[in-house]
Amino acid sequence: MDCKFIPSVCSYCGTGCGVLFEVIDGKIESTLPLKSHPVNQGKLCIKGWNLHEYINSYMRLNSPLIKEEGKFKKATWDEAITATAAGLGRVKEKYGPDAIGVLVSAKITNEENYLAQKFTRAAIGTNNVDHCARL
Amino acid sequence: MDIINEARQLLVQEKVDIFLGYRELDGHLIPHGYTRDNLDELEGLCVSQNRYPLEKTATHLAKKDPDLKIGLVARDCNQRTLNVLYTWNQLDPEHIKTIGVNCCPSPFKDHGDCTYLAPKTTGEYKKEHGIDFNAAPDLLLDSMTNPERFSRWMYEFNKCLKCYGCRNICPVCFCRECSLEHEGLIEPGALPAEVPIFHLVRATHMAGRCIDCGLCEDACPAHIPLRLLYREANEIVSGIFDFQPGMGVEKSPFSIIGDKIEAELKPLDA
Repeated sequence: MDCKFIPSVCSYCGTGCGVLFEVIDGKIESTLPLKSHPVNQGKLCIKGWNLHEYINSYMRLNSPLIKEEGKFKKATWDEAITATAAGLGRVKEKYGPDAIGVLVSAKITNEENYLAQKFTRAAIGTNNVDHCARL
Repeated sequence: MDIINEARQLLVQEKVDIFLGYRELDGHLIPHGYTRDNLDELEGLCVSQNRYPLEKTATHLAKKDPDLKIGLVARDCNQRTLNVLYTWNQLDPEHIKTIGVNCCPSPFKDHGDCTYLAPKTTGEYKKEHGIDFNAAPDLLLDSMTNPERFSRWMYEFNKCLKCYGCRNICPVCFCRECSLEHEGLIEPGALPAEVPIFHLVRATHMAGRCIDCGLCEDACPAHIPLRLLYREANEIVSGIFDFQPGMGVEKSPFSIIGDKIEAELKPLDA
């Protein structure tokens, strides 16, 4: 039997609390606060304490889905990105870039959020970018 | 013999299959399970001033494989927890080996805060930087009148974020069905936490079980003096039953249910 503890950062909000995953035989069994983390200093909120539940959830998507004829179909990342790019391209061509808006998330990193707004402004060409923390 | 060699011997001689200790990873001292397959890792085995409930991990491991032999570094509080877990049949003492280590090692503290260590003294660090924990009982109890104490406790409970951290980190909390999630007692999703029922339900369950390790208070984002609360609950138990949780493998007075209830219900107005 294999038992490891892996430090990580809570993905529920932008605070950035340090968490420690208890991993037994490759599966995350529980979440603990990382005591030596400067942000949360060994404390967590109820969402952080239950971080492992959504990681292990059977409802979690582990591959992208593309909706075809009203039904979701499993797809590869290449297919999904191609389909998304084609869809955005069609909307932009027909209605202009301001017909598109991008919502970014607290669940992704600061750098990913930066890239997302850059993509929205530079590649799509609109200022319609907002964040879930403002909703 | 140092703990690295001691742990290596336990693993090599197959006295344990996995050894729970600490290691440094990315600048954090965190727990780690050492096994026979990677004995080289043992060079990094250490103790940490950051305490994690290793015994709780041991119960998780034992649940997966009841025959697994588990070793762990144990301070006094770990040892007391293990005793409680043995008496409540959560771990088999035959399958647990401990290496005793110093209590709360820290460059700042020359002594732990725990009630089990005599004499009750406060370390240099707390003297300089923080509240003297061992002075807190006088602060909250003896010098106050009842209404003052009541309003102080209600103030403390009202700070609760209902994160369940005290329950989650508690090494002697193992019930499959927790009263704190019982809809009849605690309304699910209701915030702020129902005061004082949430805290008193937990305090009642800590009576005869809490070994004063203080992990709950460490984990409390609202700084509620939980240790003090559970100490008070335990004082009642030790007063009535002369029982101190974790001091031995004696069964808790609350674990004896008996075969048959002989008392009869009496009308309330009698």
